[in-house]
Amino acid sequence: MSHALRVVAAEALKQHRRLFGQPLVLFSMLLWPLLTLAATYYTVLPVMESATASQRWPVAADPRRLLAFLAAGALAYTFFFSLVQSAWHFSFERVSGTLEALFLSPANRMALVIGNGAAALTQNAWLFGCFAVAAATAADVLDVAHPGMYVVAALALVVPAVAWGAFLNSLLIFSRDSAFLYTLLDDPLWFVAGVRLPLFALPVWIKAVGVAFPLTSSLVVLRGALLDRADLGDLAGALGWLVVLTVGLFLAASALLRLGEARVQRTGNLQVF
Amino acid sequence: MSTGIVTTDLRKTFPARRWQGWRRRHVAPVAAVDGLSLRVPPGQVTGLLGLNGAGKTTTIRILSTLLRPTGGTVTVDGLDVVDHAREVRRRINVISGGERMVYDRLTARENLWYFGQLYDVPRARLRTRVGELLDLVGLTEAAQLPVERYSRGMRQRLVIARGLINDPAYLLLDEPTLGLDAPIAHQLRALIAQLAADGVGVLLTSHYLAEVEQLCRHVYLIARGSLVAQGSPAQLAGQTVRRHTVRLVLSVADPAVTAALRALAARHDAELIVDVDDGGRPRFALRHPEDLVGVVVTAVVQRGATIVGLTVTPPTLEDAILTLTDPAVMAR
Amino acid sequence: MGATFVRNWRITLRAYPWTYFVGTLATGVLTIGVSLLAYRAIGGGRVGASFTAATGSADYLGYVTVGAAALTFVTRMVLWVAKAQITEYREGTLESQLLTPARRLPYLVGVTAQALSTTAVEVTVLVAVASALGVRLSVPDPLVLLAAMVAATVAVVGMSVPLSALMLAAGEAHITQNTLFTAMALLCGFTFPTSYLPAAARWLGEALPVTWALRVLRAATLPGADVDPWPAFAVCLVLGGAYLLVGLSILPPAERRALHRSARA
Ligand SMILES: Nc1ncnc2c1ncn2[C@@H]1O[C@H](COP(=O)(O)OP(=O)(O)OP(=O)(O)O)[C@@H](O)[C@H]1O
Ligand SMILES: [Mg+2]
Repeated sequence: MSHALRVVAAEALKQHRRLFGQPLVLFSMLLWPLLTLAATYYTVLPVMESATASQRWPVAADPRRLLAFLAAGALAYTFFFSLVQSAWHFSFERVSGTLEALFLSPANRMALVIGNGAAALTQNAWLFGCFAVAAATAADVLDVAHPGMYVVAALALVVPAVAWGAFLNSLLIFSRDSAFLYTLLDDPLWFVAGVRLPLFALPVWIKAVGVAFPLTSSLVVLRGALLDRADLGDLAGALGWLVVLTVGLFLAASALLRLGEARVQRTGNLQVF
Repeated sequence: MSTGIVTTDLRKTFPARRWQGWRRRHVAPVAAVDGLSLRVPPGQVTGLLGLNGAGKTTTIRILSTLLRPTGGTVTVDGLDVVDHAREVRRRINVISGGERMVYDRLTARENLWYFGQLYDVPRARLRTRVGELLDLVGLTEAAQLPVERYSRGMRQRLVIARGLINDPAYLLLDEPTLGLDAPIAHQLRALIAQLAADGVGVLLTSHYLAEVEQLCRHVYLIARGSLVAQGSPAQLAGQTVRRHTVRLVLSVADPAVTAALRALAARHDAELIVDVDDGGRPRFALRHPEDLVGVVVTAVVQRGATIVGLTVTPPTLEDAILTLTDPAVMAR
Repeated sequence: MGATFVRNWRITLRAYPWTYFVGTLATGVLTIGVSLLAYRAIGGGRVGASFTAATGSADYLGYVTVGAAALTFVTRMVLWVAKAQITEYREGTLESQLLTPARRLPYLVGVTAQALSTTAVEVTVLVAVASALGVRLSVPDPLVLLAAMVAATVAVVGMSVPLSALMLAAGEAHITQNTLFTAMALLCGFTFPTSYLPAAARWLGEALPVTWALRVLRAATLPGADVDPWPAFAVCLVLGGAYLLVGLSILPPAERRALHRSARA
């Protein structure tokens, strides 16, 4: 166990060096999401102002609540997308030759991909995280049933995100075309996960696809706990499903790593999937 | 329990598949290592020689758990590399030429710390070990610079330090001096000798045969994945049938001289190759266990021909590799 | 100029960034998708009065679709035109390109012509997808649509040249381009009228030629929006020309700086 923690610490150093103080983090993890958030808000505003909108969706009636709804979506999406980005970077280790050095070491492979994802998440998302907390406090939009729900919301955001990162790391490190996966997980991800729309507005088949992504349920919990005064009972379904997904992602990551490494050991070729 | 790295009848066949249009076609698989048995004892440098594609790198990758053998076994101090991969990885490390395997964004010190963490080197040991290694490879001055600002030689020295971070009991070196300048290569050889003297079992592949002759106590010579000869460098060099090579270039072709040399070769039972050099002049190569330069020159001069080029090559390890691994190469 | 066109097409076909195309197309399609779903499931097929007041039309879906198509056009064009030089710089051909006596303007026209031809295909695909999703578009005045395309091209080229100089000077394209794209998506009125924006942001938008090109485009495509497109057309040409001139004058020092940097590295 302590060896695994040391691996995580090592990965944290790597991500710190890669990301800390990089202007790209400031732009891609704060500025662009905020500009996009504003554009999204104005784009859907005409619809929300229609006479019937607030009957179908009470949030539509109050621009501040609408903005908070969209901002929560942007925050969670930024968390999850930062892991897509870091997995994409991780896949370059194959090209640069350091992946081989990792496989040479006795480090637990799972600890490596988890550590890598967790470290990337902290390096990437702390800025937007702090900003979101400050903005939410200042705008006074939070509506929380009891203080414990802050913890629930934070865990529901971070733990599945780390599992998601571990899964993506395991997938992209062996994949032939990581650029394609990267594109696939950018815009389509926010669309199916209900980042910019309440889930009820999505057609059933899109919802079905979205349910498979932890971002969708993380977002349900985040919005419910922080904006809608939901308590554990209200969120039990989403939380339960989130646990299932998280465990599933960890298991999938572990299977991918095992299969991938076995395949590499057989063929000597690092591109597997 | 047997100490050292021991391979028994080791085999590695790569699944050879090729894309043809949209379908995958199976083609004849490549046997990169084919029934290889060798031993890398602790405390000495063992050489693994062979021409390009002989299977040296493949062997090293199997020993280091990066590849899984398709047949045979490898044990490291009695531990099977497949069943006890994690334990084996703790005891082994690899250094290969070509300065990869380190992170550009990290400094030398951070790279070593990073890999030390991955190898679970005890904390206190790691603190001192990083400093020692930086000293050892002469990177103490540059230890705080990111590796992207290093020269190739500096990177390769860091790669060497990385390979020593876990105090490996066995060190596998795959052309470690590739691309290094002479003084650094010299230092590295001294380091390898020192490590062996301290008890580390070293397996060395290299295309610089002088290096192998200097360092290795025992050498395995492989061709197409199989063992063709083994012994000390001197023994191997002595094993070749064709020892001394006399090469001779004449100013103009002269049938009488050619006939005389053919007769001489037949008399001594030596091998004779007759061709022309780049300038179109007649060239002769005569190979024989003894040095025949005296009789050859006498025979040529007696017939009034002019010698424009004469070399005599004594037996070398290189000769041994060429003759033992591929007779066709020698005939050229 | 013809040579630049042919050469770029060859390179395009050989190494066409399909992934990037799918990415850009997805952004456009999904923007339309969100509006479509919101309009049907939340708005009940109606929009608020502020939209009708600002645009003179209630055709929200048409508005968003045309805007998304225009945004695709602008981002793809900027990617081609503004990145042409930094790509040459990265591949090491900038120097040889600067050594040839070819002037910059013909080079730029060559790049633009080639970019227009690929981008036209991409925008057509996007509009086709939108129609398949059930969005109805109308073009009351084809002549004005043509004018809008000219205006958009001038605006894009005008903005691309200073951007290209900025990229060369900074030795960086990713941050510069994406910042421009996200800022434009907010400031220029692609998917919502600029009157929604706070005053300061609105004034920033007015300074960009693309905002004016969009006004011409709205006049051509928005039924019921009874505005005279020609003043906006004129402003767009003047602004675009001004950007172009500024860009051409700061390009040489930026090129020198880039070459100086690569000589040092
Ligand atoms: N991943 C692989 N897939 C298929 N064949 C491979 C693979 N790796 C190596 N081979 C083949 O195995 C054989 C041995 O290769 P290997 O790299 O071990 O040779 P080597 O002795 O290290 O050569 P060199 O001196 O050039 O480094 C070669 O024929 C090579 O083509
Ligand atoms: Mg090799």
